[in-house]
Amino acid sequence: MENLSEVLQLFLSIDNFIAIALGVVIGVTVGSIPGLTATMAVALALPFTFSMQPVAAILLLVGIYKGGMYGGSITAILIRTPGSPASACTLLDGYPMAQQGNAKKALKTALFSSVIADFISNIALIFFAAYLAKIALNFGAPEFFWLICFSLTIIISLASGSMVKGLLAALMGILLSLVGLDSVFGSQRLTFGNYNLMDSISFIPLLIGLFAIPEIIEFYRKKALPHIKAKASGVGMTLAELKRCMKSIVRGSLIGVIIGAIPGTGATAAAFISYSDARRRSPNKDNFGKGEVEGVAAAEAGNNGVAGATLIPLLSLGIPGDVITAIILGAFMVHGLTPGPIMFQENLSLIYALFLGIMLSSLILLVVGNAAIKYFSLIADIPKSILFPIVLMFCVYGAYAVNNMTFDIWLMLAFGVVGYLFNRTGIPAAPFLIGFILGPMFEDNLRRSLLISNGDMSIFVRGPITWFFIAITFGSIAFAIFRFFKDRNAKLKPTS
Amino acid sequence: MLFSGLSNVKQIKDTLDVITGIVLLLLSLMLVLYLVPNYIGEPAILQNPMMSPRWLPNIVSWLMLAFSVLLILQGLLVANKSENDERKFIKGSFRRFVIMVIAFLVYVLFFETLGAILTGILATVLLFLAHPVRTWWVYSFAVAFPVGVTLLFVNVMNVPLPLMPY
Amino acid sequence: MKKIVSATCIAACSSTLLLAASLSTANAADWPTGDVRLVVPYAPGGTTDVLSRRVADLLQDALDANVIVENRPGAGSTVGTGRLARGGRDADHTLLMASPGHTIGAAIYPDLAYDPVEDFVFIQNIIDIPNVMVVPASSPYNTVVEFIEAAQDENMAFSHSGVGSSIHMSGELFKTLTGSQMTAVPFAGSGAALPALLGGDVDVSFENMPTVYSHIKSGDLRALAVTSAERSPYLPEVPTLSEIGEYNLDQFTTTAWFGLIAHKSFPEEGYEAMQEALDEVMERQEFQDFAEQLGAQAGQVEGEAFKQFVIDDLARWEEVAQQAGISQ
Repeated sequence: MENLSEVLQLFLSIDNFIAIALGVVIGVTVGSIPGLTATMAVALALPFTFSMQPVAAILLLVGIYKGGMYGGSITAILIRTPGSPASACTLLDGYPMAQQGNAKKALKTALFSSVIADFISNIALIFFAAYLAKIALNFGAPEFFWLICFSLTIIISLASGSMVKGLLAALMGILLSLVGLDSVFGSQRLTFGNYNLMDSISFIPLLIGLFAIPEIIEFYRKKALPHIKAKASGVGMTLAELKRCMKSIVRGSLIGVIIGAIPGTGATAAAFISYSDARRRSPNKDNFGKGEVEGVAAAEAGNNGVAGATLIPLLSLGIPGDVITAIILGAFMVHGLTPGPIMFQENLSLIYALFLGIMLSSLILLVVGNAAIKYFSLIADIPKSILFPIVLMFCVYGAYAVNNMTFDIWLMLAFGVVGYLFNRTGIPAAPFLIGFILGPMFEDNLRRSLLISNGDMSIFVRGPITWFFIAITFGSIAFAIFRFFKDRNAKLKPTS
Repeated sequence: MLFSGLSNVKQIKDTLDVITGIVLLLLSLMLVLYLVPNYIGEPAILQNPMMSPRWLPNIVSWLMLAFSVLLILQGLLVANKSENDERKFIKGSFRRFVIMVIAFLVYVLFFETLGAILTGILATVLLFLAHPVRTWWVYSFAVAFPVGVTLLFVNVMNVPLPLMPY
Repeated sequence: MKKIVSATCIAACSSTLLLAASLSTANAADWPTGDVRLVVPYAPGGTTDVLSRRVADLLQDALDANVIVENRPGAGSTVGTGRLARGGRDADHTLLMASPGHTIGAAIYPDLAYDPVEDFVFIQNIIDIPNVMVVPASSPYNTVVEFIEAAQDENMAFSHSGVGSSIHMSGELFKTLTGSQMTAVPFAGSGAALPALLGGDVDVSFENMPTVYSHIKSGDLRALAVTSAERSPYLPEVPTLSEIGEYNLDQFTTTAWFGLIAHKSFPEEGYEAMQEALDEVMERQEFQDFAEQLGAQAGQVEGEAFKQFVIDDLARWEEVAQQAGISQ
C-alpha cells in the first residue's frame, strides 16, 4: 500500500493512544453509573475534541462508546442496576451469579465476551463494511417490520415459567411504550394532557425502577438475615467456561454485527436476541435466568457486537444508526470531514488510521476492564444495609439526570413498585422490557410500510429479506410450540 | 408453626394468580372501555384502520383481557409450580418498611426544594437507621456520597442537579 | 410604626432606582458575573446540541466565562423552553438555543404555558441551515415542476424526521402550496429517514442540508431545489423553490434557523455583551469552517428584527399546522 507511511504517521501519535485510553476509562466509569449514559459522556466530551487532531478526536469518542457499552454491565451484575439500557439483559444471569458468590466470574465473563465481540465487530467493520452497508440500504420499513416480529418471538423464550404471565408482561410493556405523541398524526395517546409524558415514558427511569428498586424494597420488607462474612466476590472465569461459552459469544457477536449495521435497531435488542438464541441452543437452558455463565456471555456479546458495526453505516453511508454515532458524525463535521462514500476516496489514510485505533481500543478495553473488575467486584462484599441506601441515591440522581426532571424520579419509583409487584406475583420483567422497546418499532414500521405503499399490503412480502424474516419468525413460533408440548410430556410422564 | 406457614404459602399462591388476573382484567376492561376511546385522539379521515392511533392500543388491550382471563383460569385450575418458590419470604418489621417508604417520599417530595445533597443525606441516614447499621463511621458515607456524587454530577458531568434550598 | 415602614419602603425603592440607574449606565463588561448557562431544549446528539456545544465552546473565549450546555429535552422543545419562560434565579445568565422547534412547537402544541414571543428576549440568529428538496438518484423527476406535475395525480411519499420537525413542516407547506398529493412518512430522526430515501422507498424529502450534502455530492441523491431565500453557495447550481415561480412556490422560503434567546428579564448589559461576543464568535475561522461544513450561512438578523422573524415564522407554521390538521 503506497500510503502506508501516511497511515502510520496519522496513527502513531501519542495523542491517539492517550485519547483511546482516556475514552475507554471515561466510558467504563460513566457507563457503570446508573442514569449516566455513554450518550451523555460522548456529548460532553465533544467540545474537548474540537481542538484535537481528527483521528484522536474520533478515537476518544469511540473509546467512550465502547467503554460505556461494557461499563453498563458492571452495575447490572453487582447491584441489579443496568448502567445502560443494553445491559438490562446481562443482569438476568449476571445478578444471580453475583448473589451466588460469583460476582467476579460474572464480571470477567462479561468482559471477555465484550472484548471478543468487540474484536469481531471491528473485523466486520474493516473488511465487510461495503457488503453490510448494502444490507442496511435494503432494509426498509417492511423488512424492519418482520425483524421486529421475529424479535418479539423471543418473548416466548424469555417467559420462564408461566407463558401467560410472560405474554401479559409483554403486552403491558407494549401498551406503556405507546404513551406519548402518536408518531404519524401527533395526537396524544394516554398522556392525560401531561407534558412530561408527551415524549413517551423515559426509558432509563423505567429501567432502573424495574430492576434496581424492587431489590431495595424487598430488602427492607424481608426479615433481616445475619450478614454472612464471606468473600462474595469469588473467583474469576476458567478457561473451560470460556471455551463452553465461545459458540454463544461468536454467534452473539454476529447477531450484534448484523443488528448494528442496520441503522436504528440498537444494542438492547441485539443483546436480547443473542441471549434467547443462546438459551434455545444451550444444553443448560434450564439454568438460564438463574445464574448461567453462558447467559452473561451471550448478552454481552450481542450488546458489544453492535459497537463496531454501528460505525459501518456511519462511515460508508454517512448514516448515523443511533444517537452516539450521530454525535460522532458531528465530530467528523467539526473537523471538516464528511463520512460517506466520498470520505473513502478522499481521506482513505485517515480511515485506516481510525481502523487501527478502533482495533487498539478493544485491547485497551481488556486492560481497563480487568483493572476495573479488581476494584468493582469488592462492591459485592459490602453488606446490603450499607450498599442499598447508596444505590438508591445513585438511582434517584441518575433518573433525574436523564431529563433533569423530578417527574422522572416519580416514574422510577412507580416502576419500582410495579417491578416489586411483578416479583411478588411471578410476572417476569424481561418480556415487559422487550415489549416496551419493540412496541413502538413494531407499530412505526407497520404504519410506515403502509404509508409508503399507499395501503398496499403486498409490500410486506416484497423481497428476499422479508421472506427470510417471515420464515424465521414462524419457525421460531413453531419451535416454541413444539418445545412447549415436549416439555409438558416430559413433565407429565414421571408423575403418571 | 412452620408447617402451617408453608401450607399457607401454598394456598396463597393459587389465590395470588387469581387476584393478579382479576386486577389485570379490571385494568384491561378499563382500557378497552374507557381509556383507549377517550384518551387517544383519532383523526377524522383514515385510509386504513391499521393507521389509526387506536389500532395497536386496542389490540393490545383486548389481548391483555384475554390473557388475564387465562391467568384467572390457570390460577383456579392448575396446581402451583416450583417456579413460584422465589415469591415467598418472611416479612420483616413493619417499622423498617415504613421508614423505607418515608425515605422514598423524601426523595420525590423534597428533591427540588431541599436540593440533591440534603435529600440524599437525609434519605441515606434514614435507610441506615431502618436496617440498623451499627458501625458508627459508616454514617460518614451518608454525607460523603451525596456530596461527592452531586459534585461529580454537577461539575464534571454538567448535570444540573438542584443544589441548595432556595 | 407606619412611618418606619414607609421610610424603609422609600429607602428600598430609591436604592432599587439607584441600582437600576447604575445598571443601565453599566457597560457590557459587567456581564457575565458568573457562569453562563446555555439551555438546549433537545436531547444530546441532535443538530441543535452539536451546534450549541460548538457555539458554547467559542463563546467561552469571547465572554471570558464558563458557558455550560444544559440539555432539557421534552415535548418537542417546549419543556425546556417553558422552563426558561418561568425565569427564576439564574434567568439573567441563561440562554436558550432556539430553532424552528420554537415556532413549530408553539404552532402545534395547545395550551402552552408560555408566549413564544412576549416571554423572551431575542438576542441573535446565529446560523441558518437550508433544507434541500431531494429525490433518490433513481427518481424520474429532474426538476421541481416535473415532480409537482406528477404529484397532481400520483401520490408521493415524503420522509421526515418526526412530527413537527422543520423537515415535516416543509413537506406539508409544499403540499399545501402546490396542491400535490403527498403522504408524510415519519421516521425517528434524520439518520433513520435517510436509508428509505437512498433506497427509493420514499419519493422525496425536504432534508436539512448537512444530512444530505455528501449524498448529493456522491450522486446518490438529486437536489431539486433549496428552501432558503437565496441559492446556497454550497449548491450554487440548485435553484431555490421561490425561484420556480409557479404553483405558489414564490411564498416558499424556510430555513432551519438557530438563534439565542433569553428570558424577558434578561439584563440590558447582558444583551449587549452577548451581541458583542456573538459578533466575535461569528468572525472566528473555526465558526466559519463549521458553518461551511453544515452547508449553513451565518445568521442574518438580531434583536428586534430577529423577533419579527420569529413572529412571521410562527404565523406561517400556525397556518400550515391548521391546514395539515396537525395539532397535539
